[in-house]
Amino acid sequence: MKKISIFSLAAIALLSASSCKKFTNINSNPNSATTSTPEVILPQAIVYTAANASSFNDYGAEIGGFAANAGGYGGFGSAWTYDYGPNDFSGLWSITYDALNDFENVINITANDSTHVLYNGIARIMRAYNFEMLVDAYNNVPYSQALQGLSNMVTPKYDDAKTIYPELADQLDSAIAIVHKSESAANQAPITSANDPMFGGVAASWIKFANTIKLRLIVRASAVASFSNTTFDAAGFLTTDAIVNPGYAKISGQQNPSWNTWVQSYAGSNGNRAWMPCTYAFSYYNGAKLLDSNRGKVIYLSYPNTANNQLGVGTTSVVSAPATTNAWYSGSTTALGNTAGIMKGLNMGEPLVLAAEGYFLQAEAQLRGIITTSVTTDSLFNSGILASFKYLYLLPDDATLASYLNTPAKDFAQYQADNSGSYLVNWSLATTPAQQLEAIITQKYIAVNFINSQEGWNEYRRTGYPVSSSSTTDPTASFASTLSQSTRPDKLPTRILYPASEYSYNAANVPSGISPYTSLIFWAH
Amino acid sequence: MRKTLTLLALLLFYYLAAYSQTQKFTGKVLSKDGTPIPDASVRIEGAKTGTTTNAKGEFIITARPGTVILISAIAFTPERVTLTPDRPSYSIALSESSKFMDEVVVSAGGLKSRVKEQGYAATSIKATELTNTAPVDVTSSLSGKVPGLIISDAGGGVNQNYRVVLRGQRSLLGNNQALIVLDNVVVPNEILGNLNPDDIANIEVLNGASAVALYGSEASNGALIVTTKKGTKGVPQIRLANTSTFQEVSSYPKLQTEFGGGGNGYGINPDGTPVFSPIENQSYGPKFDGHMVNLGYPLENGDQLMVPYKANNDRKNFWNKGYTNQSDFSVSSGNDNSTLYLSGQYAQVTGEMPGDKYNRATLRLNGTRKVSNVVSTSYNLGWTQNRYDVTTQGADIYNNLLNIPANVPILMFKNWRTNEYANPNGFENPWYQNPYFEADNNREHVRNDYLIGNVQVDVNAAPGLNLTARVGMTTANVSALVYTGKFTYTAYAIKESGGSKSNIPGTVNPYSDYQTRLESDVYATYKKEISKFSFNLTGGWSIRQNNSAINSATVTGLVVPGLYNLSNSINQPTAYNDTYESRLAGLYGDFKVGFNNYLFLEATGRNDWVSILNPPHNSFFYPSVSLSFVASDAITALKEMRNLDYLKFRGSWSKVGQVNLTSDPNSITFGAYSLEPTYSQVNGYPFNGNAGYTVGNQIVKSGLLPEFTKGYEGGIDLSLFQSRVSGSITYYSTHTTNQTVPANVSLASGYSSYLLNSGEVSNQGIETKLSVIAYQNKNWTATVGGNYSHYNNKVISINPALPTLSIYTYGSGAGSYAVPGYQFPVIMGTDYQRDPQGHVIVNGTTGLPVVNQTLQVLGNSNVKDQLGLDLTLRWKNLTLYTLFEYRGGNKIFNNGGATYDWSGTSIRTVAYNRQRFIFPNSVIADPAHAGQYVKNTTAVIQNGNGNDGFWTDATENMGVTSNYVTSAAFWKLRQLSISYVVPASVIHSKAIKNITISAQGRNLFMWVPKSNIYTDPEYSDAGTTSNGIGLTNLQAPPSRYFGGTLSITF
Repeated sequence: MKKISIFSLAAIALLSASSCKKFTNINSNPNSATTSTPEVILPQAIVYTAANASSFNDYGAEIGGFAANAGGYGGFGSAWTYDYGPNDFSGLWSITYDALNDFENVINITANDSTHVLYNGIARIMRAYNFEMLVDAYNNVPYSQALQGLSNMVTPKYDDAKTIYPELADQLDSAIAIVHKSESAANQAPITSANDPMFGGVAASWIKFANTIKLRLIVRASAVASFSNTTFDAAGFLTTDAIVNPGYAKISGQQNPSWNTWVQSYAGSNGNRAWMPCTYAFSYYNGAKLLDSNRGKVIYLSYPNTANNQLGVGTTSVVSAPATTNAWYSGSTTALGNTAGIMKGLNMGEPLVLAAEGYFLQAEAQLRGIITTSVTTDSLFNSGILASFKYLYLLPDDATLASYLNTPAKDFAQYQADNSGSYLVNWSLATTPAQQLEAIITQKYIAVNFINSQEGWNEYRRTGYPVSSSSTTDPTASFASTLSQSTRPDKLPTRILYPASEYSYNAANVPSGISPYTSLIFWAH
Repeated sequence: MRKTLTLLALLLFYYLAAYSQTQKFTGKVLSKDGTPIPDASVRIEGAKTGTTTNAKGEFIITARPGTVILISAIAFTPERVTLTPDRPSYSIALSESSKFMDEVVVSAGGLKSRVKEQGYAATSIKATELTNTAPVDVTSSLSGKVPGLIISDAGGGVNQNYRVVLRGQRSLLGNNQALIVLDNVVVPNEILGNLNPDDIANIEVLNGASAVALYGSEASNGALIVTTKKGTKGVPQIRLANTSTFQEVSSYPKLQTEFGGGGNGYGINPDGTPVFSPIENQSYGPKFDGHMVNLGYPLENGDQLMVPYKANNDRKNFWNKGYTNQSDFSVSSGNDNSTLYLSGQYAQVTGEMPGDKYNRATLRLNGTRKVSNVVSTSYNLGWTQNRYDVTTQGADIYNNLLNIPANVPILMFKNWRTNEYANPNGFENPWYQNPYFEADNNREHVRNDYLIGNVQVDVNAAPGLNLTARVGMTTANVSALVYTGKFTYTAYAIKESGGSKSNIPGTVNPYSDYQTRLESDVYATYKKEISKFSFNLTGGWSIRQNNSAINSATVTGLVVPGLYNLSNSINQPTAYNDTYESRLAGLYGDFKVGFNNYLFLEATGRNDWVSILNPPHNSFFYPSVSLSFVASDAITALKEMRNLDYLKFRGSWSKVGQVNLTSDPNSITFGAYSLEPTYSQVNGYPFNGNAGYTVGNQIVKSGLLPEFTKGYEGGIDLSLFQSRVSGSITYYSTHTTNQTVPANVSLASGYSSYLLNSGEVSNQGIETKLSVIAYQNKNWTATVGGNYSHYNNKVISINPALPTLSIYTYGSGAGSYAVPGYQFPVIMGTDYQRDPQGHVIVNGTTGLPVVNQTLQVLGNSNVKDQLGLDLTLRWKNLTLYTLFEYRGGNKIFNNGGATYDWSGTSIRTVAYNRQRFIFPNSVIADPAHAGQYVKNTTAVIQNGNGNDGFWTDATENMGVTSNYVTSAAFWKLRQLSISYVVPASVIHSKAIKNITISAQGRNLFMWVPKSNIYTDPEYSDAGTTSNGIGLTNLQAPPSRYFGGTLSITF
């Protein structure tokens, strides 16, 4: 009995110890995927970037004179004063880095994979695009140590924006080389619009897109930074708009992000009604500065009687935004959607870069001798305006011109005629390089209105065009808020602040003493 | 293990050797009042053989006639009896030992030990102390009674949730709440609040880890050992009771009553005052003057509501008087072989929020049965169901209330279906909903069902050797329906509001989840006395399995109003489901040795294997040692001191591992699957047949380890003057290392959170307790008691890469943080720039304060000092009981404060009568000396109003955290009760044994410093499960409870 007790107890103890391993080996996740593939990460990252592009537009529209507060709302705070806190627009930072991490993941898992070459190239191009968006908003940002969380780098240092820009251009060069390589490589994983909701896996389109981003980097910074290679791949620049559309639909989370924010939710709730067109931008359409009745009609609700306001004017006299839709929507207010203009419909694609911007970049680059093309600068300028007409005249499917409108070319001609005295419209009247630059940037400002508004704001900070007066008494002459606390002559801010999360979690690296009135993006003045 | 086996073998040898030469005697051991004494030791003097009594106090012993047996039991004076051949049966009455240190309490693993043997701090709370204020949730009645225990109500409502923490927080981001053990089975913390308080016989609070190391890796936070009632032998006892309790708002934010709706944004009157607006929610309009004004715009039929322009009290009167009715019954009976305890309770609660309802039903069946002479069984079975019908928009409704100018007669908007001004179409404010409508239109119906049970078999395998097997089970099932009703506005309302009134599409979200926790324990206990030494050895193993699943679906866009079903929609529902499983296996041993009944040493060891960590880090061992020395028994000089009942010195050391992959002790994830990165579909995916995945946002350090809490405690217990004075003092010190930290990290890393082992927190403190029977005679007893605890929780380190660790933060970055060198946690947020003397630096031109956007430590939010004071006064059959509690030494951030400023209803906004003002105690740059500052007497803030002035300025006022950080100190009258036992001479009934009538109140009064103009500093906006204490927001206003109970015992 003695022995039996000892042995049985010992046996139980041993059994329990040895079976523990099996007993506790049950920790594999039944709820979430723990591995993934480039085929499904890349499209999501592109769609995420498109959603973020919509947020960048909101930021550019609110600061850059495209939008102003509507009546009936309060709490504009720093949107009126420009006295930004670290929470203003902080989503731009978090979402861009989050999307960048998805691209970084694609780059890492395809790095040594000879079957996903194009995936690798696309992810690299998109990484450069997103980093440029960050630099343009924040100047110095973590770059060389960014996106290395998996290597336990959680407090990345900030790189000088002046060095990031040339690095991005180099990255685009190598990405273009990788895309070229994919065209001839064997055994490539298929890539369709399911995997690439922007260009459907067309390598040539990606190279044009990459060239255009690189051109933007060089045009913007060639005066203050040195680029190792200022030549461009022969494929040229964007001739059509770079638009993301994964199949936006009237389903929770699946509407076009701009439409969802500004017009109506999938469930029928009103969009954001606290903002409406800014008088300053509107005056480029209604004849106050320029007359652009065709684009005005296709963009704005009830043009030319569209509700508009000057930023900072908050008395009861300010009219409200339209009750059931949005002022940047020109279609039927009873059956929303399927219209041309900016807010085309819930199923419209989200543009990352317009062809118009590509032409205006080329025009400026040629003007400044950065590139030399076979076409004349005035032809590039006109192509830019025409491309803007073309984009605006498209229906939500991004392909069909609205049949109820004239042709873009015809209305462009009328635009030139209507403003026959203005060098901002008619290149031949712009006789000095300064006027030519002003014409290019002003037309770019008009083309990106409430589409890629941040580019209008960026170019204003870089070139001072379109002109914004030092007095806010005339709402068509200045887009600064009447309640501005900015110390600059133009009463505008210079930048937004780093997000609070950086001050909390990366305090040793985040630059201190950033002022929204005096700290400049490196290419600005 | 080897030692145990040797001793076991020895015992068996003796048992067998004695068997062949002897005769059988039976006996029964009773106390002087005739109650059987179970587990009494019956030992043959001079030999090593013996037995113990069963549940009925009976024993059988085989011995040679003439043998002397020694009968001893814990808490009784031992007796010697000589066995004579002509007398086979004995009845032995033991007298109770006068020293209550012999009292037996349940300690870890269901093992019993005497108070005198305990080498650690413990507090025993008896049934009467738990129910004397008749709470629905027993947790609330522990506040202020136990040194080292902090109970916090996270935010009011019909069924409050409490946070239960012993000795301060030690884990940065893991679970810090005390382990709850119900009838020897570890249960989720939420079970405590779902017990019928009347079912509880005793709660043993074991403050330190060494006391509970045997419970396994969840015990590092101390434990509340809850034991439910058992039936008693004799005449059955039946109790019926009914309690009615009222609840009302006990304190309210300080609001201004001078200014109504409007603001400078609407223009400025000729006299310079801001223009009135009939629809504005911000109270930055002109001063109240009593004349009739419009409220809202005219309705479609032309009706216009007009009200006097003066303040009313409706914002407070909006809150109802809550009412709770509780009915109880219980039956207790027993005979020689079995006992039975049955009970039922039904509680019905209506809340302060209009429409909020809660009810709870509990049933309990506890019993014991002796199956044979050596086998006894016991079982405990509890069933609780609770039902909520509450609004989901509590905080938003409160926000709306505080955004309503003081002249608005809110109470008239109750009947929004029939009153045209209360209907959403006609409601005066276009931006904020009628709070009554909002409460009605946004609801959740939640059903929670809990089944908690265990069965246990005890086998008295041999003299001194007991085998116990126990299986416990807890299941919790939730099914809920959450919805927002559909509302379609009239075209007129949409147009008149400028589109601010936007159709509500309606949402419905049904969900259900379950969790099951199974626990099985098998252990053997062997007791042996060898001359002056007593040995008590236990070895056993424990396995635990947790399973859970959740299913949830949501659809927005309803078709038929009032129909809340997924199918009633123009859209497709979105759905998700998750399942979780975790397991734990533990092997443990406990070795107790006593010397001469005054010196006791106990050592425990346990090894755990857990499924939620990766091998080899998922197996870890942790030991504890404790020593107790009863000086009053050991030292003759002390023993002979007339007025010294006892004096005990105790000390213990322990190291306990805890796997902290979730901070929520009720979490249905159990921390499972936390180690691997995940990918998920987001941003609208899947789109039309195409998948799209994102990389998860958490990085996990490979080789993640458990947290370890290592520490010691020492203390003294004493009793003087025949127990009229008793007290204790304990000092403890622990260090928790290897913290499992899902730290927020720079988003530029590509991730938002990084799970790693890093950091150390130290907890030191003093716990004292003193109880004095100040006066006692035949009719009167006056007892005063007090307990004081001091806490010092400090973050020693986190990680070089993480200078600060956010625990719970708001979008602004302000919130609760861990910062090395500071108390844990601290409030961090923005502050104004200050000169070296602390004066606020203002802009010399605008007079506006300059804000330092870098987050600063603005104060610690952990309680540093806690005091409980109680008084019991008994006069004949009448008993008065009061309990006060103080907590202090900490700060609180009232995140809701900015809302009150935004709306212009807060008292702060009238500090300068809405006129231009000089920022108080401010300085401006000295024009003569760069870098120096002079007192500001010139720079004036021109716009001292809100709307577009200083008070609503997000940068200079609302966004500055330090404006809303105040002292968190409070005194509360926690409990007050008066009960009267109706004398038997009055009842005149044989059936009725007792009638008790009582009146009682809880949290009747709260006193806070003047600076706290907001709310109860005990609240936590981060909820009960986050360690981010010290933050409040717009939780329901704090309440007082008062009512009466009638109970009859048959």
